Amino acid sequence: MKSSHRLALSLLLPSFAFVALFSIYPIVDSFRLSFYRLILTLPWLGQKLVGWENYADLLNDPVARHSLLTTLIFVAVTIPLELLFGVGMALVLNESFRGRALMRAVILIPWAIPTVVSAQTWRFLFNDRYGLMNFVLFGADTASYIAPLAEPHLALMAIMVAEVWKTTPFAALILLAGLQAIPDDLYEAASADGAGSWQRFRHVTLPLLMPALLLALLFRTIDALRVFDLVFIMTQGGPADRTNVLQFYGYKKTFTEGMVGYGSAIAVVVFLIALVLSIIYLRFLRTDRTQVSGS
Amino acid sequence: MILVRAVIAILAFSLLFPTIRASAQILHFVTWKPEAAEVWDQAINAFERGNAGVKVVREVAPQSSTQIHDLLVQKFKNRDPRLDVFFMDTVWPAEFASAGWALPLNRYFTAAEQQKFLPAPVSANRYRGQTFGVPVFIDTGLLYYRKDLLAKYAIAPPRTWMELVAAAKTVLARENDRQLAGFSGQFKQYEGLVCNMMEYIGSNGGALWDEKRQISAVNQPAALDAVRFVRDRIIGEISGRGVLAYEEPESLALFTQGRAVFHRNWPYAWAVANDPAGSKIAGRVGMSPLPGFTVGSGVAALGGWHLGISRYSRNPDLAWRFVAFMTGPDVQKRIALATGRAPTRVAIYDDNEIAAKIPQLKSLLASFKRAVPRPTTPVYVPLSNILQRYFSSVLALPDTNLKEQAELAARDMNRLLDFVRDR
Repeated sequence: MKSSHRLALSLLLPSFAFVALFSIYPIVDSFRLSFYRLILTLPWLGQKLVGWENYADLLNDPVARHSLLTTLIFVAVTIPLELLFGVGMALVLNESFRGRALMRAVILIPWAIPTVVSAQTWRFLFNDRYGLMNFVLFGADTASYIAPLAEPHLALMAIMVAEVWKTTPFAALILLAGLQAIPDDLYEAASADGAGSWQRFRHVTLPLLMPALLLALLFRTIDALRVFDLVFIMTQGGPADRTNVLQFYGYKKTFTEGMVGYGSAIAVVVFLIALVLSIIYLRFLRTDRTQVSGS
Repeated sequence: MILVRAVIAILAFSLLFPTIRASAQILHFVTWKPEAAEVWDQAINAFERGNAGVKVVREVAPQSSTQIHDLLVQKFKNRDPRLDVFFMDTVWPAEFASAGWALPLNRYFTAAEQQKFLPAPVSANRYRGQTFGVPVFIDTGLLYYRKDLLAKYAIAPPRTWMELVAAAKTVLARENDRQLAGFSGQFKQYEGLVCNMMEYIGSNGGALWDEKRQISAVNQPAALDAVRFVRDRIIGEISGRGVLAYEEPESLALFTQGRAVFHRNWPYAWAVANDPAGSKIAGRVGMSPLPGFTVGSGVAALGGWHLGISRYSRNPDLAWRFVAFMTGPDVQKRIALATGRAPTRVAIYDDNEIAAKIPQLKSLLASFKRAVPRPTTPVYVPLSNILQRYFSSVLALPDTNLKEQAELAARDMNRLLDFVRDR
């Protein structure tokens, strides 16, 4: 008994060490640094313990507050759209039709392309002079052409379009797995009881898809909170700071300005928001699981 | 006994001839992929031939100022000895010097030697009396224009911004081409925006910040008027709002596709605009110093790249020999001939071969001599981020209260400048 215990421990140890080194240590260190004033380019100031000062500054920083708002809007708009389109895509891909295997592969392409590449493509699509988006919207009427990435009220929307395009396939993939786990006999039983296709979707598919939906919601929310690369390539936070999402702001503070303490405080805040949301989702996921298995 | 003598002899010998100790030495050079890479390869090979046993190992970073900056900072933070010589953008020397990352070069880069270079890029490398880099290329803001369109309506190249706006409006009205813009420049929220705006503000007698007193100057009338002019007359009237998302490549593309009358860019744009392979306006391009708010008050932002040596280099003497070689007259001339990039040594501008092959260079010398560096300070990057946010906000949202935004930006800048003011 004891030796098997030791075996289990020795088998767990490497993965624990891995997680500790690459996950726990950086998080703990970010927490630690966030309590210091440390500015790399001003070494004579030293590394001074300032307690909660960075967090107090963050609360009073209008740029950071606006940045948080921008990030939350980004999450609140893109996630429902991704799930909605994801469900649609998954439903189609779950039907049997000719070329389904090919279709399932094709639909993943936006997700498989490295973001830096697709972000660059979207930047060209949104160009005010030769962008395809303008041509599709206005055709030859060049006087009406708009510059989405130059307009403060459109730039964030443009980035959201790129995000939804890019990550909907990922949501669809998770949801497709969820759909395939629903046994066919439930549909047969529902049909036998005279349920129409909407009723079958509403009372069979949707409740049983809930765990997959919550899982997709969880993954996508955490990911969207940390949006960085689209902003980095498409707008650099502009115009008028309207696309300056939190993660980009934190990156600029830490890596370009050398304000390690303040940047760490931003990173910690993003981490905490993601953590709280995850805990809420996981709670829902668990109650949902117990309900499903209980019924 | 013989053995001891032999050891002493070898030690003495190696001390007398340090080149032997230096044999099989590796010099690490962080660079970006330059245009005409073969010229660089040849130069590095020549250096290796002249210094037996030395091997130059290159680490090629992306050709983006921001990215090479972040890479270098990572290496400095780790005190990485595998970094001896590195490329440095015009605005980094103060930061790298203050952080103790760049090696002061005064004992190598003597005053007499500095005299042989253009003054502006050399002064951009100075911080607290020490020099931290040797300039390789110089860049400066220039005005490009459509020679053919100006000639068609008998308009002289503009000497003031007001003349430029008037000329653009005349051409636009007479050409009646909806695809044509009057002006294209770089107004996206990024470093280039600071360069563009400091040219307008400087040519109105203003500044981004007062370097003597170390306080912000963006809330001063000269700066406010210049920003208002760009917002209402340049972007509002002759350039279209698309420029608010333009960096150099997009704004240059507009010009080379024949869709802009005037264009602000760095010297490299001349070769691009006159290359028939990619430009529709080759041979129809004019170039002049940037206008000012009065005749002759034009100010051009200084850009360019320098070579610096890391404080953590294990072999600074050898690193210096490499820097001196790469910035020497011979290599500079060969790079200029191959790329059209403007050299930093004054004598090269009088070279016959240069005059024959790149005649436009000589005409730029006046602009290069007058180019104004962005203020040198270790907090340049955070200051620039505040300025980018401010300029982008007031240009993209014309209804915001300019004075109010300027005061906010000035307050944020002064808070940063407090850190360095009393030092």
